Amino acid sequence: MTVLQYVTEDFTGYNVLVTGASGVLGSGVAQALRDAGANVTVLQRSASGLDGIREIRGSVTDSEAVSKAVEGVDSVIHIAAKVSVSGPLEQYQHVNVEGTRTVLSAAQEAGVARWIHISSPSVAHAGHSIIGAGAEPADPQAARGHYAATKATGELLALAADSSAFRVLVLRPHLMWGPGDTQLTERIIDRARQNRLPLLDGGTALVDTLFSVNAVEAVVAGLKAVDTVHDEALVLTNGQPRPIGEMIRRIARAGGAKEPVLNIPSWVAKAAGSAFERLWDADKRGDEPPITRFLAEQMSTAHWFDQRRTQEALGWKPRITLNEGFQLTGQYYNT
Amino acid sequence: MIPSQPATYPHQVVDPAKLPGWDSRWSRLVNVATTDGTRQFHVLDTAAVLEESGIDPQHVDAIIVAVHGNPTWSYLWRNIAQASIDAAHGKIDLGPGCGRAPIIRVIAPDQLDMGFSQRLQHSSLPSTKSKTTTYRTVDQRIHDLDALLAQILEADSDTPIFTLGHDWGGVVSLGWASNTTLRRSGSGLDPVGMISLNTAVWHDEATSIPAPLQAALAGPVLPSSTVVTPAFLNTALGLGHPALTEDIKLAYKAPYSNSTHRGGIGGFVADIPVSEGHRSRSALRQIATSLSVTDKPALLLWGAKDPVFIDRYQHDLVHRIKNLDLHRYETAGHLIAEDRNIAKPILGWLRQQLSGPIDPTSDPTATGGSSAVGTYTPLWTYLDRWADSSEKALVDMTVTDRDGSPFKVSWSRLSTIVDAMAIGLRAAGMRPGDRVSMLVEPGRDLTAALYAVLRVGGVAVVTDAGLGVGGMTRAITTAAPQWIIGEVPGLTLARLANLPGKRLSVQTMGPIARRSLGLTGSLYSFATTYAGQKYQPMASHPHPEPSDDAAILFTSGSTGPAKGVRYTHQKLSALVQRIQTTLNVSPGSSLLAGFAPFALLGPAIGATSVTPDMSVTKPATLTATALAQAAIAGDTTVMFASPAALRNVVATASQLSHEHRIALERISMLLSAGAPVPVDLMDEVLELVPNAEFHAPYGMTESLLISDIDHHTQHAIATQDDRGVCVGKPLDAVRLAMAPLDFYGRPGDVILEGDEAKGKLAEIVISTPHMLAGYDKLYDTNRQTRPDVVDGLQWHRTGDIGHLDAQGRLWIEGRTQHIVTPPTGALGPGGPEDDIQRLSQINRVAIVGVGPVGTQAIVAVIEPHDSSIKPGLAPTQLTDAVRAATTIELAAVLVTNDVPVDIRHNSKINRPALARWASQVLAGGKVPVPR
Repeated sequence: MTVLQYVTEDFTGYNVLVTGASGVLGSGVAQALRDAGANVTVLQRSASGLDGIREIRGSVTDSEAVSKAVEGVDSVIHIAAKVSVSGPLEQYQHVNVEGTRTVLSAAQEAGVARWIHISSPSVAHAGHSIIGAGAEPADPQAARGHYAATKATGELLALAADSSAFRVLVLRPHLMWGPGDTQLTERIIDRARQNRLPLLDGGTALVDTLFSVNAVEAVVAGLKAVDTVHDEALVLTNGQPRPIGEMIRRIARAGGAKEPVLNIPSWVAKAAGSAFERLWDADKRGDEPPITRFLAEQMSTAHWFDQRRTQEALGWKPRITLNEGFQLTGQYYNT
Repeated sequence: MIPSQPATYPHQVVDPAKLPGWDSRWSRLVNVATTDGTRQFHVLDTAAVLEESGIDPQHVDAIIVAVHGNPTWSYLWRNIAQASIDAAHGKIDLGPGCGRAPIIRVIAPDQLDMGFSQRLQHSSLPSTKSKTTTYRTVDQRIHDLDALLAQILEADSDTPIFTLGHDWGGVVSLGWASNTTLRRSGSGLDPVGMISLNTAVWHDEATSIPAPLQAALAGPVLPSSTVVTPAFLNTALGLGHPALTEDIKLAYKAPYSNSTHRGGIGGFVADIPVSEGHRSRSALRQIATSLSVTDKPALLLWGAKDPVFIDRYQHDLVHRIKNLDLHRYETAGHLIAEDRNIAKPILGWLRQQLSGPIDPTSDPTATGGSSAVGTYTPLWTYLDRWADSSEKALVDMTVTDRDGSPFKVSWSRLSTIVDAMAIGLRAAGMRPGDRVSMLVEPGRDLTAALYAVLRVGGVAVVTDAGLGVGGMTRAITTAAPQWIIGEVPGLTLARLANLPGKRLSVQTMGPIARRSLGLTGSLYSFATTYAGQKYQPMASHPHPEPSDDAAILFTSGSTGPAKGVRYTHQKLSALVQRIQTTLNVSPGSSLLAGFAPFALLGPAIGATSVTPDMSVTKPATLTATALAQAAIAGDTTVMFASPAALRNVVATASQLSHEHRIALERISMLLSAGAPVPVDLMDEVLELVPNAEFHAPYGMTESLLISDIDHHTQHAIATQDDRGVCVGKPLDAVRLAMAPLDFYGRPGDVILEGDEAKGKLAEIVISTPHMLAGYDKLYDTNRQTRPDVVDGLQWHRTGDIGHLDAQGRLWIEGRTQHIVTPPTGALGPGGPEDDIQRLSQINRVAIVGVGPVGTQAIVAVIEPHDSSIKPGLAPTQLTDAVRAATTIELAAVLVTNDVPVDIRHNSKINRPALARWASQVLAGGKVPVPR
């Protein structure tokens, strides 16, 4: 396994809570801040496996665990969320809205000054293609699917809490991938290995993605930038949009799988997705449907962003190019 | 019976959301003491909003008084009103180097009985016949306008006023502007200039009125089509190009919701004085007459696809108004204010009127262009000088003599034929300045006809088949020639497409063909009839002045409709000098030309013109054998061929005989232009023509010679890091300047020369003695391409982009429309294309941008040699190869098997079409065909 190195500024003297540190982004941010001199607390249900870090086990909806977590903290990086494409609305609301509310109020009470809120570009996405746009306002009504809708509400809650004493900066990483990422990277690799991965409409929709190391560094940069930039949402990408088909092929190859050869029209996939959404009982089956309407839309329409404001506001540029990212991912899965 | 109804604010009766683009703060109601009592007008006036923007409406740069026509209302002027506000906020860009947009106030009344102005009482429906009427006549409407303006404006203000009109509002506004007596005794206002969209101030009874109006005017139909039903209204609103959207149509219809509101529509139609006895006939005649004498400058913006205001009305205005700038929009129509952004040309024209002309050649006597203007030599100098010479002037391999040998014409014979044809043309009624469309295939006939036309003072209109039939028809209609000279195919096209102009054939035809083609004569019959007579100028037909127009050449139209480029005798004379001195095609040499513009110039250069056996419009039909045979017949020393032709010559070289090869060895100069000449092609050709210097001049229809590169230099630059197509250093007498692009790809306002200009991606700006005198009937294109004045010279912004290297050599990287603007800054497609083109798998490549300016994603669209690769995403290996070939960040590599190219050169890739295609593909969805 390759040990990923993060390049950050010095964070000596910072007391930071990272929620949701079991994922690639959360654990990366916690490590990076730890290595940069910060006192780091993490809060999540499962063990993070990180050394040199104060760990609180619990859900963001558990107010007792949360108040313990925010003790002595000056900055919160709120990453914890329920991320999926299926399941009932209540589960999403519980974590993404109520959980956010719980951590927010605890943080404000504890005198926290900085709040980095990890959101998603889907909070402002009504299903149309996005072509070189900036970060539009979150819209729970228009957002597609339970995840996006509840993340939109959570983001609005955080922004509503913004003040000069409690500075909120929203970051929306778009399609993060990289070594160890189970959400996107390993699904692509697994499905490609099983020859179950189709391209929609030839895979030509242009999409932005974000290599995980860059995501970590951007979030960490946000913790400095929030002192001057707040009450704003920024989309995070590698600034290198690619046709989705090319991304999938390259990630599949990096994971040692063959390139997908299946190609189906997007309308078929959307129809199939709608059907699966109705019929699939994720709780019973314990896994997710092979395709949802939301996923079919995501895979067949353009989503790429104007990164000029993001890079200027954060004083950050993606350090690892996509090509280097493919190589690092390849090394991770092939050694 | 139509009752009187007061004026209203639009927003009182219509939901403002139903008037897209309209700002209710523009509306005001004004009581005006008209000639027959007080009337209430609804007026669009941007004064209040200007004031809110911090602009004192009393101290603007200019006032535009805009008068709508029938059946519209001041809603027609919402875009120019919005531009008035945008200009106040500095949001109008008139174009690089074109200066700041003037701050204007727009005042646009709804005419009485129209829009939201007062409805007058009428006891009967309108009619064309009666001597008197309760409906407003054109004379009353002009008085109404004067009274209204007297109410709104102060006579002693020194803010310049310009009028603007459309349709019959054009008549009213032009009538008011040109009627000094009326204004002096009334408002005392004095407009300084006039602007009009499609309109007509004169109708010649000898010609029929356009069909749509005939329908509306036909007696009993008039009230029903105009007032009782909304038929006329609906017809007029159906004239958009492209069609108006439903919400815009509804906004136009808002004030005309029922028949009691539509009286004015019928009243207007009934007021059109199409016959001598009509009550408004004398008023219209007076307007036409005063426009003939006015000195006021005018701008005419004309939508060519108007079924009512057809071309003859445009010609009338052009000839009638002395000081008129015309811009014709070939693909716009009657509702040009909807079809096009007219605010920019109008504000640009105002800028020029207010600042004084910054275009040195708007002085028609100016012949300058560069400090190095040579002496003027008439184009027929050698035809006169060598009138007794038996040396060859023309060798035409496309025809043979009776004995089967190549057709040759001596200087004395050519001189005699040209003189006789010129005398015949004059006798047939051709006058100096007449435009003559030449629908003749290049060769001896075209050459003779061209010089005959030039002698008489005619202006040759040159369109080539590369425009396609549609493009050619449009080009000729625009040029509006008085004459068409053609052979059967051209004359048949002229007949079928109903092209303007009297018809002359080249060869004499039988009576049936003469009648069916509508011929008034033939050049061959002139040559016979006047054989041996010397052409002498006379009072009616003096020798053309150097500043007189000599030719209109059409561009290839690879970006939009082909543009007519005007050349004067002086400019063509300068071009001939460049070819003689810079390219060393000296008098007495023999020029084998497979490239049309240069083939025609042989007699003017004093060179023998040799036409090889090929289809000049299909350069790739030139074979090595045909080339060698022409070289033998013409004792050729200089050869000119397009790269496409040369490629075929190389491909067919194996058929050359020993004799052929020896003839080719005699060639000392080889020229190729029209498209970039790759160095390997140069090398291959030079194996066949070993003793020649190979030169590839760079130019365009607007200036045929700008720079030149030879094969030695081509090899020398091969290792340079510069990218693009190197076209060498500027020729003598050419001044070259650069307008560097900013982050967003906008060329700079200031042009740079010398070291300052080097190493920057920029628009190429030239000043040459032999460049165009201007685009024909394209005022706004002239305004935008020639804003620069340096050293008192006229400059031309070419629209080509590129850079100068450290040695001062020019590298072309595309056109301004092809600029790609990623977040790392603007770039030209030529550089990366050059890199990718070197891959052996690639046949053609285009670099295009998709997405918003300033943050575009860059896409390589490739046509691989392997045609089995499916359109869409390129395979991974090919993608890797393309990405590795360039240093720019490519978002995607797409494969197409259908790269659109221009017809004329078969090489200019239509990048904007591919950019649209790539945008569609990358937005997701099925892969369409590029168009």
